[in-house]
Amino acid sequence: MKNMYGLCVALLMLFSNVAWAQGKQVSGRVTDAKDGAALPGVTVKAKGAASSTITGNDGTFTLTVPESTTILIFSFVGYAEREVPISADMNITLSVADKTMAEVVVVGYGTKIKREVTSSIARVTSKEFENQPLPSFEQALQGRAAGVFINAGSGKLGQGLNIRIRGIASISAGTQPLIVIDGVPVTNNAVGTEVEADNPLASLNPDDIASMDVLKDAASAAIYGARGSNGVIIVTTKSGRAGRTKINFNVSHGFSEATRMRKFLNAAQYKELIGTAFKNRFGLSDADLPNFWNSNLAAPGLDEWNGGYDENWNERGFQKGYVSNYAISITGGDARTKFLFSGNYNKQKGIVLGNQLARATARINLDHAVTDKFKLGTIISLFRTSNQRIPNDNAFSNPVQLNALPPIQPAYLPSGELNDFTIYYNNLIEQKYAFNDATGFKTISSVYGEYELIPGLKLRSQAGVDFTNYQEEQYNGRETQDGAPQGQAYASQSTDYVFTSTTTLNYNKAFGDIHKLDLTGGTEYIKSSYRNVASTGENFPNSRFTKLANSSKITAGTSSETGYTFLSYFLRGNYVLADKYLLSASMRVDGSSRFGSDTRYGFFPAASLGWVISEENFLNNSKLLSFLKLRVSYGKTGNAEINNFASRTLVTSAAYADLSGLVVSQLGDPGLTWEKTDQFDIGIDYGFFDNRITGEIDYFHKNTTDLLLNVPLPNVNGFNGVVRNFGSMRNTGFEFVINSRNLVGAFKWNTSFNISTYKNEITRLVSPISPTSRNLSRLEVGQPFGQFYGFKYMGVDPANGNALYLAADGKTTVAWNTPQSGWGNFILGDPNPDFYGGINNNFSYKGFDLDVQCQFVYGNDLFNTGGLFQSSNGRYLDNQTIDQLNYWKQAGQITNIPRPIYGRANGTETSSRWIEDGSYFRVKSVNFGYNIPTRLIKRFRMSNAKVYMAASNLFTFTNYSGYDPEVTSGATNAINIGHDFYTPPQIKTITFGLNVGF
Amino acid sequence: MRSIIIKSFVVVSLLGTMAACNKKLDIDPRQSIDLETSFKTEEELDQGIIGCYSIIGGGALYGTNLNMVPELLGAAGTAEWYGTFQSYFDIQEKQMTPNNADVTRTWAAAYRAINIANVIRDILTGADGATIVPDAARRNALIGEAEFIRGIMHFELVRLYAKQYDASTINGLGVPIKLKGAKDQVAASEPVTRGKVGEVYTQVITDLNSAFQKLPANNGVRANRFVALAFLSRVYLQQGNYAAARDAANVVIANGGYSLPGNDLRSPFTSKNTKENVFEIQQNDQNNAGSSNDGLATFYADTETGIGRGDMNVSADFIDEYPVGDKRVAAWYYTGAQYGGIMINKWISFGQNIPVIRIQEMYLTRAECNLRLGTNVGATPAADLALINNPDRTGLPVILVPTVNDIVQQRRLELAFEGHNIHDLKRLRRPTGTFAWNDNMLTLPIPQREIDATRGSLEQNPGY
Repeated sequence: MKNMYGLCVALLMLFSNVAWAQGKQVSGRVTDAKDGAALPGVTVKAKGAASSTITGNDGTFTLTVPESTTILIFSFVGYAEREVPISADMNITLSVADKTMAEVVVVGYGTKIKREVTSSIARVTSKEFENQPLPSFEQALQGRAAGVFINAGSGKLGQGLNIRIRGIASISAGTQPLIVIDGVPVTNNAVGTEVEADNPLASLNPDDIASMDVLKDAASAAIYGARGSNGVIIVTTKSGRAGRTKINFNVSHGFSEATRMRKFLNAAQYKELIGTAFKNRFGLSDADLPNFWNSNLAAPGLDEWNGGYDENWNERGFQKGYVSNYAISITGGDARTKFLFSGNYNKQKGIVLGNQLARATARINLDHAVTDKFKLGTIISLFRTSNQRIPNDNAFSNPVQLNALPPIQPAYLPSGELNDFTIYYNNLIEQKYAFNDATGFKTISSVYGEYELIPGLKLRSQAGVDFTNYQEEQYNGRETQDGAPQGQAYASQSTDYVFTSTTTLNYNKAFGDIHKLDLTGGTEYIKSSYRNVASTGENFPNSRFTKLANSSKITAGTSSETGYTFLSYFLRGNYVLADKYLLSASMRVDGSSRFGSDTRYGFFPAASLGWVISEENFLNNSKLLSFLKLRVSYGKTGNAEINNFASRTLVTSAAYADLSGLVVSQLGDPGLTWEKTDQFDIGIDYGFFDNRITGEIDYFHKNTTDLLLNVPLPNVNGFNGVVRNFGSMRNTGFEFVINSRNLVGAFKWNTSFNISTYKNEITRLVSPISPTSRNLSRLEVGQPFGQFYGFKYMGVDPANGNALYLAADGKTTVAWNTPQSGWGNFILGDPNPDFYGGINNNFSYKGFDLDVQCQFVYGNDLFNTGGLFQSSNGRYLDNQTIDQLNYWKQAGQITNIPRPIYGRANGTETSSRWIEDGSYFRVKSVNFGYNIPTRLIKRFRMSNAKVYMAASNLFTFTNYSGYDPEVTSGATNAINIGHDFYTPPQIKTITFGLNVGF
Repeated sequence: MRSIIIKSFVVVSLLGTMAACNKKLDIDPRQSIDLETSFKTEEELDQGIIGCYSIIGGGALYGTNLNMVPELLGAAGTAEWYGTFQSYFDIQEKQMTPNNADVTRTWAAAYRAINIANVIRDILTGADGATIVPDAARRNALIGEAEFIRGIMHFELVRLYAKQYDASTINGLGVPIKLKGAKDQVAASEPVTRGKVGEVYTQVITDLNSAFQKLPANNGVRANRFVALAFLSRVYLQQGNYAAARDAANVVIANGGYSLPGNDLRSPFTSKNTKENVFEIQQNDQNNAGSSNDGLATFYADTETGIGRGDMNVSADFIDEYPVGDKRVAAWYYTGAQYGGIMINKWISFGQNIPVIRIQEMYLTRAECNLRLGTNVGATPAADLALINNPDRTGLPVILVPTVNDIVQQRRLELAFEGHNIHDLKRLRRPTGTFAWNDNMLTLPIPQREIDATRGSLEQNPGY
């Protein structure tokens, strides 16, 4: 199948240059209706014939058309299309298109005029994020698209991030939206094998992206059927433009640092606190302390207690980062062929010691019209990423964990060697003797052909691949903690492959002025496979040897493969009556190898209605209200992000030393199927004062049923549980968007503001899913996803410095040294925000423009799990946050920090003690640019030149005392949202750049 | 030409629409096979038995917990847990909760092994058994091996999760007895209840006796008939059935073909499958119970070696129980680097085999039983004890007229940190620290998730 497409395309390319028969010649000139300036690059086309051309630099054109042709069509991006009868000397003026009338959004398998959209779609275009230093393109949506909640998790480069569209709609299946890039659904889950997810899409060049359209409600997402429940992000890359070939260079350099740093105790403060903790535990006196420390804990021969050491370990884990970016794009074409070439090299040095990401990309987007009726094109992109990753949050080798080391222990010994006698691992050693590199090669490429069978009826076929090859190499020398005693290395090679073949038939026709019909039907076949080969070796001669070939003992080796297929049929119809009444309906049938044999196919229908009230006579002449549309939609989507073979009862191999055995590995439910979401959406699109103010208001109600759950079974019968469709969840919320063109003269000022809410409630579960180990998140019927639950910290008893907890009765308090059976478990907080959104202001005056985008999240709680060690009044030897100095010292003292007792859990059990408000307001991006006047650059043959300064995460306002409130620790599972565990903060970046066009 | 191309495009596109068919949705996993199609050959049934060994060799069972949990439960004056694993700490402190991670995983793994053994046994004893494995002896051997797995797992469960067997507990809460394999959701959801302690022991003895009858005398590194008998001896000893324990041990010694206790104290742990060991869990560098967060070497070995976590520190008091000059101290203990704690030298590498029954245990059992019963079956108690404790082996003089206490003490010193601690304390009615031998807290709780998953049909142990 795939090969045949390729063959056809190749053949078509070969024979496309056949000349046309002679006819009559027409010439003329095209100018701008506003100022009479010549318009170069306008497409001039004979109506009903194949001949076309584009205007030259002076706006003139000459076109040979068949004798029968009577009308020419003039079209130009951003301008209203005109059809003009042929005359002797044609002087044509084009005017700028009415934006609100012409604006289109991308929907699944097509586009739609925004005015006629009856569902909820958020659109972000390249203009809004150009020149921004984005670690990965998805972050451009943060604060810009209503209903899209993005948490980048940490400031680690190349790391997976959390995108949640309209709340959280799953527990065990994925919660990430489907991402479709130029019609190819791509893998946006980790491809690598590390505990903390990598982001395969970090390899995309954000500059290549023209727009991102987020399908939020079921009416828009249902066309993606079983994969639409978490919303869909449709990414469209830039394409070529007819006209003179334009070359654009963009170069920027910048530096970065952590958004915020925590404060830890210095040596004197540490000695005071830990000394008190020792005294309270062991009954020591002040005089005993130096010897107690030095003989038990210090490096041999070092007087750490009185040696004057004052190491700032916290800062040792961080570095100054930098970003440099080089991009070139070449666009051009004529009436028949349009192309874009782009190349990009981007290098980022992270803020955490040893973290780095380099990215090189190349792209060709090509469209060609073989005839008037037959078009074809291709998108070819290649990416290479090279990522120096850092260890997991909960690894002793995580550089952020250096903040746990006592300031009285020096990083380096007097000999100049790194001190490896520290109480915890001095992971600075890793910088020299360990690495963790991931190299990715990726392509997202496709070819398409489109043929107009009869006027209005188009057949389109596309074949696309998303292919990733991801190589991981880790090495821990014998000097390191994990590499001792003889060195250890791990190498892994993963390939991920998604092939998509899509064929659609589209019929689009207007019947008179009253009826407009747009029908789309199609089929899609998706096949994906994932393969991995990995092995581990130990025993290296020394740390100058790092390849597995150098190890004398291979201790693990594995290869594995998995995959899935989807086979789908879909149909959509849009009907517009008198430009006022809009009706849309769609359905999709999805079959997948992931579903049980009893439930192979799912049906996903949706319908929506729109009413453009402003077109009605009673509002037609309103000066105030220029546009008003009411829309209502309802539909069903699915979530098929379940384990590939979860429905089967399986037997797998099990090794017993050298013997090879078999074990029953999994119990399956043959009725296993996708999770289902029914979503209702009602919304208003509005415009005031001749659309100076526009916006949208939406309310949604999402009901997810048949949630995939591991239903526990008694192990006595041999199985731990079975994955079944069981639970239910509800998400409801509002979205509000307002865009205003405040000033429209020479000094322009635009503001846009969006705010969204979601309220999540779990409505059905087998049994509550309780927090594990140090975490607090819990799932329970009637409560929001991930709610914090556990012991409630009630402060300190002023009489004796004992930590108090709320007793099981919910009224009295009990001290830390009473049996835990008497402590109560309570609801402690909610990691879900009350609302979140963004505000964007854009100013321009003459050549200057300034864009300030802010983003906020309000009302979510965070649990700093690291507090158990960082802020635990001297229970461990860990250095403490500065607030711990206010510990209880004498009777009657009112404080929240209990009496320090080394090795005793006075207030240090997992509890609400480290829950904080995670609200924040962030100046997310600032972009200040100056367009150098044309007269100054003309002699350098430049058509445009811009210098700019761009910053991201410039200022953050929050009461959270941790590093950064935008945090999701990668060390825990997906249920534990809002947990922070030695997680590196976000990156603040400032870059300076130059953008030049020729 | 052009129209041909266009036509072919249209045809190909439309074909693409039609060509899609159901078959494309049928893809199979590559590392696994469907249970429906499995265990239809002798080879796969045999591999199913090997699969059971891989489970019992895992960290939840003999790979770690069936050694460490009994040691920690009985840890009072022998060793102290220095590690960060809360679940093990709680076991040592006798503060287990029904959510204890290790209490839960040991239970789950034991029943998982039982289920696979039952699935295999059901097939072999079922209608197709004789068709799949026509050779009756071979078929019997596999059935016997499945019964061996089932028997020893029920035994390990009943002595950890139920009260010590005696007249007063025979009718008390034992553990669920599973004799049928579950292969689908219906069977896997069956209600479960706890059998009585006496019933569980009866079943264990039935299974091990049957295994002894059916297993061959030689079965490679897998259990042979004498391994079944050695376990049977253990079961009888735990019950206090000294005559039966003695006789079983006697047959193992007399007919098992094992060597006498050797003078090389290290080799039973460092060499694989020596003739001194009756039953070992097989491990190698690649397939073992764990090399970072699980496995005996991980917890027992010292940090300085770069292997272990040095979590288990032996008490100086326990070392003092060895008479001065006992060679076993130097062979089996060493001083750790980090806190200067005393470490155990029996478990020092990830890939080493784990001796579960050493021949020394059989001699000690025979000696103790003979002495208690006033008999000399096989040999005199003094002669048996002299094989363990003599100037060549331990550097100590032979005890000419041993008492029961002498033998029990030699057993404690010889088999230290091999998973006998709490079981011996219980059968000898000796206290663990301040806990009486039958204290509720010396019995593990039934995992809470099991009680939840059975909707309460499984009863919790007293005290939890």
